[in-house]
Amino acid sequence: MQLDFHYYATYCAAFLAGYSHEESLEIAYSAQFVDECSRTLLAKLKAPSHAATTQMQLELMDARTDPVGLQDITRIWAAFHFLPRDLHAEKKKCGKRYLDKYRLICGPNGELVKKTVEFAKGRPRQSVGIAMHVLADTWAHANFAGTPSLVINNTNNVFFELFPEGDGFIEKQITFVHKRSVPDDLENSVYTNSLYQSNENSIMNLGHGRAGHLPDYSFVRYKYLPAWGDYGELTKDNPSDYFKAFSQMVYAMKFIRGVEDEFVCNTYDTESVSPHEDRIREIIEKRQLISDDDWKAFGEELSGKTVEEFHLEKYFDEYMETEKKDKSSTFLGKFIRGAIAHKGMVIDEIYRSGNKAAGAAKEKRGLRFRLKKG
Amino acid sequence: MTIFQRIKNVLFGILVLAAGVVFLLDPSDEAYMIIIAFLTLGLAIRGISDIFFYFTMARHMVGGKVILYKGVVILDFAFLTGTLSNVPKIYILLYLIAIHAFAGAIDVLRAMEARSKVEGPWKLKCFQGVGNILLAVACLVFIRYTNTALIIYSIGLIYSAILRIIDAFRPTAFIVIR
Repeated sequence: MQLDFHYYATYCAAFLAGYSHEESLEIAYSAQFVDECSRTLLAKLKAPSHAATTQMQLELMDARTDPVGLQDITRIWAAFHFLPRDLHAEKKKCGKRYLDKYRLICGPNGELVKKTVEFAKGRPRQSVGIAMHVLADTWAHANFAGTPSLVINNTNNVFFELFPEGDGFIEKQITFVHKRSVPDDLENSVYTNSLYQSNENSIMNLGHGRAGHLPDYSFVRYKYLPAWGDYGELTKDNPSDYFKAFSQMVYAMKFIRGVEDEFVCNTYDTESVSPHEDRIREIIEKRQLISDDDWKAFGEELSGKTVEEFHLEKYFDEYMETEKKDKSSTFLGKFIRGAIAHKGMVIDEIYRSGNKAAGAAKEKRGLRFRLKKG
Repeated sequence: MTIFQRIKNVLFGILVLAAGVVFLLDPSDEAYMIIIAFLTLGLAIRGISDIFFYFTMARHMVGGKVILYKGVVILDFAFLTGTLSNVPKIYILLYLIAIHAFAGAIDVLRAMEARSKVEGPWKLKCFQGVGNILLAVACLVFIRYTNTALIIYSIGLIYSAILRIIDAFRPTAFIVIR
């Protein structure tokens, strides 16, 4: 997913869940900041590097893929962008080495999503934003794993875009190129993806790199052969998934606000969303690379207030100018604490499942970034 | 990283470090032959590990048989390399030039990205990048000298050995603070 959904759509969902305009902006900023908070940025802010929620392109190219490096990559990508659906998934005749990667495949409505949403309840709005980013990505990034893995994340030339026609769909072969400088060509179904690398742990095999940005576009429907799928074709219907993601975000935030008693997987808010369903589907299905303007306009219709554009540096001065001992009470300080806590929770869950792909999490009490409820 | 992996990394690092120092101090033809033997061994390990990777992982993957074929071909190539008694040194130098130039370009690009996008720290990365590019240039300038490949290769061995040893002491647990 991109800024259009993580920032503007999250704002809309938060507002529909009952947050005020200002609160919704804070949640939306936090959700988008997950895609910005790299180690390079944290170094600039003089903030703890282990709070990183993403890695820049060249940070990734520079990342080591020895066991320690792989764990570091997996911690970031599995925790924030490819939350595993089922840490105990089974596949016949597979060894543990394979299963450890197979079990990191991302997907919606897993036990970890439930834990993520419940974890955010009672915490600052920065944690709510983080949880909404993670939840939304479980829909967009489904079927790929947040760890470098050829055997899980690879794709081949069996890749078709589906266009609605009559009661069904027509198929069009997708062409992948490797030029980052050229934007995706929607008209001719030409998209950029990462290079094929036969090394299992090559950074090119991280997440949905081999499928390019297709999972990030709300309008696209496609079918392909996932590397892990035993030659079974998989159809991905992003418009349907993105609508569910939006409805589930509203439901999750209502739970976090205390409107709903519990967060149950496979449950979506229909009460607040259905009056706007046509409008939301129209935005989602519109063939465009970026839908910032449409979501922004929808958000402004909902709240009647101007939804400011995402300003990365909005809270930087506050954090930089605050004394060290008080930093944890600043906006970014709360985000950093929330990110560390969420990352630790996910690492711990993966480790407890008997999978060491993300390493171990140690609990340390009494430090400055101690997390408090409420 | 397990304790066994740490011990393995330290021991291997010391071994490589010692080899690098010996080659640097005594760049003889015998040392050159040892490096060829290393390359042969490296290729053989790569081929065998690809075959192993196929049977443990890639056989579950769509199109995974390519990995098996690749492993067999590399292993075959390792046997072929092992039978060569006199590989022209210029090939080793060309290999070193490509490796260092690529690594240097990546470091410099990363430094530039850090500087322009978020104004983050960039000087150290840029310094590393320039260092790598200088090594590549050194290979080019001294391409006619017979021992250049050996000396540059030895420096590379020492550098990677030091990194490996440091790596063995890196903390591996993520600290959660609740």
